[in-house]
Amino acid sequence: MDINDETLMAYADGELDAATRARVEAALAGDAALAQRVAAHRALAQQLRGSFAGVLAEPVPQRLLDAARNHHDAPGADTHSAKVIELRPRTAPRWREWGALAAGLLLGALGLQLAKQSQAPLITTHDGIALASGGLAHALDTQLAANQPAAATIHLGISFRTHDGHYCRTFTLPAAAGLTCRSDEGWRLSVLSSTDNGGGTYRQAASSLPPAVLQAVQDSIAGAPLDAAAEARAQAGGWLPGVH
Amino acid sequence: MPTDTRLNKELVQALPRLRRFARALTGNAHDADDLVQTGLEKALAKSGQLRDGAAVCSWMFGILRNAWIDEARSRSRRNRMFAPEELGESVADPAAGGQTEALAVQAALARLPQEQREAVALVLIEGLSYAEAAQITGVPVGTVTSRLARGREALQGLLGPRGE
Repeated sequence: MDINDETLMAYADGELDAATRARVEAALAGDAALAQRVAAHRALAQQLRGSFAGVLAEPVPQRLLDAARNHHDAPGADTHSAKVIELRPRTAPRWREWGALAAGLLLGALGLQLAKQSQAPLITTHDGIALASGGLAHALDTQLAANQPAAATIHLGISFRTHDGHYCRTFTLPAAAGLTCRSDEGWRLSVLSSTDNGGGTYRQAASSLPPAVLQAVQDSIAGAPLDAAAEARAQAGGWLPGVH
Repeated sequence: MPTDTRLNKELVQALPRLRRFARALTGNAHDADDLVQTGLEKALAKSGQLRDGAAVCSWMFGILRNAWIDEARSRSRRNRMFAPEELGESVADPAAGGQTEALAVQAALARLPQEQREAVALVLIEGLSYAEAAQITGVPVGTVTSRLARGREALQGLLGPRGE
């Protein structure tokens, strides 16, 4: 199969046209080594984004806020207003708070929106715990990141194990991305983040998870993300802890 | 007092991402924030060049990238280029745990040649498409692709395979 590394890389980055993508996916299906290289490309991208995620959370220096608002043009007159009006959040929310907040805000709209496509809601709550259900639960159970349809509505990102041995998986929906971890009750939602940022420059590719989700991954991952083979073994074991 | 224009507001909102991009480009926090400040001043001085509806972030990435190339050139002329060992030093307080890995990754990125580093920063960190990165860096998409491939290969070499 004549798939060079640049093509494989472009595939991992979501940059291929449909025809080439189909050709790569056909090759990936029968070649675990190729799939591992795709996983390595994606893992490196995740690692890079994770390493710089902290910068987004830092408070922005006042001199930069002033420069962005041309306040150096009017020294003195505007020192007070510059202190009063700050658009940035004071601190970045920790992912658990953020997860709860996002879930609260998004669950209704998301459930409604996706219900139209799949009839059953993708996320339901039981005793205050948000669980994947319907098509999302099915995708989490059965879909492997290494060989999923590129056009899939639900795209699985990275799978990994936590320090206590549970499996977690990230997923991307048309307007949101999140992290779920397998527990006795099912796939429990850890964080859900909107990716519909009003025409920003973020790509909605599987390889670019929102910072809140990446942060959640970073907080709970033990070791490296599962490669294609480990992911397949985890799936075969029903994503139960200790089976690998 | 002056009223904030829409551009002012969009620049303020873009600041966290601009700082992140500048950090990836320069390899240290002080240079990064100096670069963002310079970039903001340049941007506001030529705000007429921003097309209506164009993404402020992408426009600013181009301004920051060009300003950094100018700065690196003038440092080179003054014979004051940083030694590679210095690049990682002031990135952050080297705390324990996940910070260590983040620092290792940032240090590895700082060792790449400028053209590979900017491709990696725009596509892999900022999540831009190859086409957007090509427009910002003024090269064909194929050039971005090969710079990205070489940058990735170098990073994988520097960081080693990720294992348990």
